[in-house]
Amino acid sequence: MSEISLKPFDMNDIFNTLNLGVCAVDADGKVLLWNDWIAKHSGIKETDALNKPLDQVFSEPVSPSFLTAIKNTLTYRLPVVLSTALHRSPLPLHNISGADQQPTRMYQSITITPIQSQQNESCCLIQVTDSSTSIKREKMLRAHSEILKKEATTDGLTDICNRRFFDAHYEMAVADAKRQKYPLSIFMIDIDYFKSYNDHYGHVAGDDVIKRVADALKSQLSRATDIVARYGGEEFVLVMPNLPQEVAEQFAEKLKSAVFNLAMPHIKSQPFKQVTISVGVCTGIPENNDNLLNKADTALYQAKVKGRNQCICLPLCEAEEYLEQ
Amino acid sequence: MNNLSELHLDALAEVFSIGAGRAALSLSEIVGDEVRISVPFVQVINSKDINSTTLSLNSGRFGAVSQHFSGPFNAEAVLLFTEEQALKIVSDMMGSQMSLEELAEFEHEAMCELGNIILNACLSAMADILNFTLESSLPDYTVASADEILQRLKANSNQPYVMVLHIDLAIEKRHTAGNLVFLLSSASLDNLITHVDQFLGKIS
Repeated sequence: MSEISLKPFDMNDIFNTLNLGVCAVDADGKVLLWNDWIAKHSGIKETDALNKPLDQVFSEPVSPSFLTAIKNTLTYRLPVVLSTALHRSPLPLHNISGADQQPTRMYQSITITPIQSQQNESCCLIQVTDSSTSIKREKMLRAHSEILKKEATTDGLTDICNRRFFDAHYEMAVADAKRQKYPLSIFMIDIDYFKSYNDHYGHVAGDDVIKRVADALKSQLSRATDIVARYGGEEFVLVMPNLPQEVAEQFAEKLKSAVFNLAMPHIKSQPFKQVTISVGVCTGIPENNDNLLNKADTALYQAKVKGRNQCICLPLCEAEEYLEQ
Repeated sequence: MNNLSELHLDALAEVFSIGAGRAALSLSEIVGDEVRISVPFVQVINSKDINSTTLSLNSGRFGAVSQHFSGPFNAEAVLLFTEEQALKIVSDMMGSQMSLEELAEFEHEAMCELGNIILNACLSAMADILNFTLESSLPDYTVASADEILQRLKANSNQPYVMVLHIDLAIEKRHTAGNLVFLLSSASLDNLITHVDQFLGKIS
């Protein structure tokens, strides 16, 4: 019994059943092998491909880097990989998803390995896998992750940034300002007599006030570098880089007016009888252990003590403060 | 190690520079922008002494592309880049097509390709110039700390010597330094020295 007949399968059947493109070219780049997978996705029959130079088999051009890779493998006898990331679609291969649909160009991963023919000729074997599915999956996962990322950093009630986002952003903003030596302004904002508002008007109305104040604050921002976040219950925080102290002071007044101009009645708030905010600002170029946030909080406290519906601005630098005292 | 003189190391640096030039050409073709790769120096270290400190690698995570080469010269060649550098190189190579986040899926394969281009170019230049032929496995890519990668390399072989190539890679104005680490058996090192000697004999 010959050895061949002992083999359980015809290797040609295996070769043509593979869910992977396989072809081989000789030293002159002429096609020696062409499996069914390649025939199906290129629309070119094996009989039309064999013995033709690979770059002339297709009606559309083959990418130059693919041809360079073949040349390198034939010259240096070393294996080459062509990734989807850097080449996308080197060969004109297509996927047909439905009878009435246009074929779409297939994303490919390609491996080229040196191989010797039985005549001892230096050839190379080309394996092509379809990476369209993994790209599609990647895009879907990315879209989901974008949504989740946004949800994770957004405050549910007000739709502005949440505390989690602020904490991360604040740290980066301080580090950037420190490194590039520009001033950073932190605005701490609190709705005046909010507890009394809730007690008198109820929590639903209270939530509405928080939403409208958040909108008013957000509407004042125009630079991509600035953010407003909900810090806690009725507290908000703004981070704004690169503002001179006097501009920061003017901006705090603008925030205060924006909320005042909403003219939301608040019977328990004396003397204005409407919803107001207090603003504490700290501006400065952060150095080693400076804490802009604490300083802005101190300023907010001073604004509250001073009678509310007030803005207090403190410089970051301790020395200036001592001089003032 | 004792047999490998400054002259040998200089000759090897020269040979690898030619390979680096070829790799740069291939990469430029893919990126569509000028890529420069140079090999400032080559070191041969006893593998007992190799760790992240002797290679001046920091503690971050590294991407390592490795290929096994065989012929008169047997070596496992490993190209090391910090994970951050790897991502930057790949994103530079891909232009603005993708963000850093999008790269995750493709990083693995793209780094394999980048490593494959550099490793093949260096090794084929060496084979060409020193006149021998090499075979190679397909590239593998792993991400780990430098010490983990080096430990794995040492555990997988009892090769006594490590040849380290320091590589500078620049795409446009961005500079990235990487290390190409070869693990060599002592027989391989002897063979390599013989080939370098023949080469030096021819040119002197």
